[in-house]
Amino acid sequence: MIAKLALIACCTLAAFGAPAPQKVFPYHYAQEDLPNGLRLITVPTDYPNIVATYIVVQTGSRNEVERGHTGFAHLFEHLMFRGTQRFPSTKYDETMRRIGASTNAFTTEDFTCFHTTFSKEDLPTVLDMEADRFRNLKYTEAEFKTEALAVLGEYNKNSSNPFRKLDEVVFDTAFDRHTYKHSVMGFLPDVQAMPNSYDYSLKFFDHYYRPEFTTIIVVGDVKAKDVRKLVDRYWGSWKRGTFKPDIPQEPAQQAPRANHVAWTSPTLPIMTVAYKVPAYTDSNEDSVALDAVASLAFSRNSDLYRKLVIEEQKVDELGADHTDHVDPSLFEITARVKDPADIDYVRDQILATVKSFREKPVDAARLDALRKHQRYAFELQMDDSGAIAEVVAAYVALRRSPETINKIYDRYAELTPQAVQRAAAKYLVEDGRTIVTLTGPEDAK
Amino acid sequence: MKSLLSVLLLAACTNAVAQMKVAELPSKSPLVTFRIVFTTGSAADPPEHPGLAYLTAMMLADGGTREMTYKQIVDAMYPMATSVHAQVDKEMTTFSGETHVDNLDAYYKLLRAMLLDPGWRADDFKRVKEDAINFLRVSLRGNNDEELAKEVLYQNIYQGTPYGHYSVGTVSSLEKITLQQVKDFYHQQYTQANLILGLAGGFPPAFLETMKTDFHKLPEGPGFRPRAQNPALIEHTRAVIVDKDTRSVAYSIGFPISVTRPRNEFVPLLVATSYFGQHRMSGGVLYDAMREKRGLNYGDYAYIEYFPRGMFQFEPSPNLARQYQIFQLWIRPVEPPTAKFTLRLALYELNKLVKNGISEEDFERTREFLGKYANVLERTDSAALGYAIDSLYYSIPPYKQYLKTRLASLTRDEVNAAIRRYIRTDKLVIVAVGKDGEELKKELTSSDPSPMTYNSPKPAAITEEDKTVAQWPIGLRAEDVTVVPVGQVFQ
Repeated sequence: MIAKLALIACCTLAAFGAPAPQKVFPYHYAQEDLPNGLRLITVPTDYPNIVATYIVVQTGSRNEVERGHTGFAHLFEHLMFRGTQRFPSTKYDETMRRIGASTNAFTTEDFTCFHTTFSKEDLPTVLDMEADRFRNLKYTEAEFKTEALAVLGEYNKNSSNPFRKLDEVVFDTAFDRHTYKHSVMGFLPDVQAMPNSYDYSLKFFDHYYRPEFTTIIVVGDVKAKDVRKLVDRYWGSWKRGTFKPDIPQEPAQQAPRANHVAWTSPTLPIMTVAYKVPAYTDSNEDSVALDAVASLAFSRNSDLYRKLVIEEQKVDELGADHTDHVDPSLFEITARVKDPADIDYVRDQILATVKSFREKPVDAARLDALRKHQRYAFELQMDDSGAIAEVVAAYVALRRSPETINKIYDRYAELTPQAVQRAAAKYLVEDGRTIVTLTGPEDAK
Repeated sequence: MKSLLSVLLLAACTNAVAQMKVAELPSKSPLVTFRIVFTTGSAADPPEHPGLAYLTAMMLADGGTREMTYKQIVDAMYPMATSVHAQVDKEMTTFSGETHVDNLDAYYKLLRAMLLDPGWRADDFKRVKEDAINFLRVSLRGNNDEELAKEVLYQNIYQGTPYGHYSVGTVSSLEKITLQQVKDFYHQQYTQANLILGLAGGFPPAFLETMKTDFHKLPEGPGFRPRAQNPALIEHTRAVIVDKDTRSVAYSIGFPISVTRPRNEFVPLLVATSYFGQHRMSGGVLYDAMREKRGLNYGDYAYIEYFPRGMFQFEPSPNLARQYQIFQLWIRPVEPPTAKFTLRLALYELNKLVKNGISEEDFERTREFLGKYANVLERTDSAALGYAIDSLYYSIPPYKQYLKTRLASLTRDEVNAAIRRYIRTDKLVIVAVGKDGEELKKELTSSDPSPMTYNSPKPAAITEEDKTVAQWPIGLRAEDVTVVPVGQVFQ
């Protein structure tokens, strides 16, 4: 499964049991490092019976630096279910079913996450089986080739969605060198050629499935010291690796770019206006200021949404995506336009909105509303242990610690209208812009 | 954090307010979850106006109230990070939402006005209607071959009955529906008799009484019960091929079963389908045969209850309770050269299930799985509340308890008897979404073998089995296949 994590609002986290009167995140967590570099984060909650484990490996499509091997991080998400000598895939599946676990995995540009939700008495079984496959994954070349076909099947089931194609072309157009150029799924020719890369797959596993790239998050009806004992037992002797990934840097974009996708099935026209923006940071205002622009300028609450969607009814979907990333990535505004004749008008409206955010500070009352929105959105999404683990996993992928949630929330508290304007003026600029349109057969311009 | 479920039907009290159907699940959570269900839906659409129930619900959830415009509602909800979501199915229309207890009064005030005092503005109606039409024209037909196959299957099986149209309606019907018809539908169907109020989380004790008093404003109404009408018998296996320009072929296959949640055979059949193809999990028979062993696609699953949007979620949405269900196979998109082999393999595996049933070991394992999986199913307040409402609708005990109790006494023989009685391999409806529909029709209706080749050596057991599968009868006659251009689906 491929996941693109939506913007997650942030909060403060109680650091190691310290009193936290103003905190919106009510859970105390333990963060511990094993001598081999493996990190363990345990978050006891008062949701009874259920435990969720989220195991984050800091490798995603970003790490696919070799030409012809895009899509490998995601392929590995699949291969990890192929089993070991001790727990062949049938035994792994049987055990997961016997314990009534819900288990799956997803891959993003920056990380791969394996998650399981189950009843608390089965924690030793789950940690044992997970440790075994992270350390002793074993698959034959024939099994590898079959699994590569399942990945092609996943590409196929996604391929009828024009939004996916549009996003693929936006990143391919905007980036020249950095691996964000390709999607998590990978380029189609690479996906089709995957079955021939068995040897490369072994190398990929050897590089990245190592304790120093891995963080185990355990959330639910648990005690931190019990979890630590189990993790020591099953994961303690896992060997640290030596590989250091060398991700190419993207040179600064010098001029605006544009592209077009001719979609062969009927669709409404879709457009993305994207800007190059910096990597996730909790040490200055950039990330939160751009989050604020995304929400205040393009969410359902925005003036542009009111104009284009509610009043003029020229657009049926409008929104901005500013997903946190390890490296500089894109701020994307996407609109689906009802009438092809309005494509240019809608683009101009989006550009005018961006310009107004560059030129004027936002209303302070709206910024306060945003702060409230972020805080409540964060609390509302934490409605069970699995959901809490998923939130923590997204931040762990960026900074390997939930502590970054504390910091980013502090940045929200400090955010001023002027800072929002500064970020818009600095990053949402013409030279860093890429516009891609997608139209169906009847809508050709 | 969750307290014991208390589903209350306060029939003993003396006034109508107290008699309102309520599902409540109080807890210490800082969040409050609402599920307000009207036991009416697209089965109540007049035959000439499919989509009326859907448009009515969307006007409430995505439109203004008498006092506030839609934009004002969106703005008011923004700082609370809340919304109201509507789900419309055959017999249930659900409005759901969640708020932090800090904002309970403010949120409820908006929700109450949306449901009890709608604004009925013409510009909201135009937008909501266009959204529904574009959903059918673009999102369903164009963007999601798998959901399209599933909904065409349901439509085909239930044709001529109140279940015989997709809940969103058809493009031509939606275009004609007027705002007055929507208002009339609201006044007729949004009644106290059809209402179930659901509330979970950290709400104050008096809150539910306030809600009941407020919703007492609705007319009492006679209560909607859909006309009882079984789907027509399927005489021969038939197929609908939806012809569209797409990379691969997506299948949905099924037939009606007369088993719903309260029936004694429900849990035995649930065990059988979980064993055969538990949704989005590895280890099912179909998944293993098709994806794990042969790499044909991304996954293959089986169902005995309606499960829309399965590509986006791991657990089913509650409040899709129905009086009629089908047994359904979901075969995820396959490369066109393997389309015929894949269909044969699905039918071959189904035949094995019917012929051999479930082994004692698989039975025990699946039983244990479902008993524990019930905890996972109801792990959020919203899901637990949804299941409580469904149990109220079906007049069964709380679902988790119902499932566990029945599983505890279940025998393998009961499962195998249910398989033999309800699962079949003929008289099916097959829906395929793919390109070159006429070619696909020729292929699927010919008895020519469809040998399979692989990119890697396969164990002898698989190559031997493939020889049988390559010739497995599909049982589809050319006169029973309809090829429909995608533009005509849900038109």
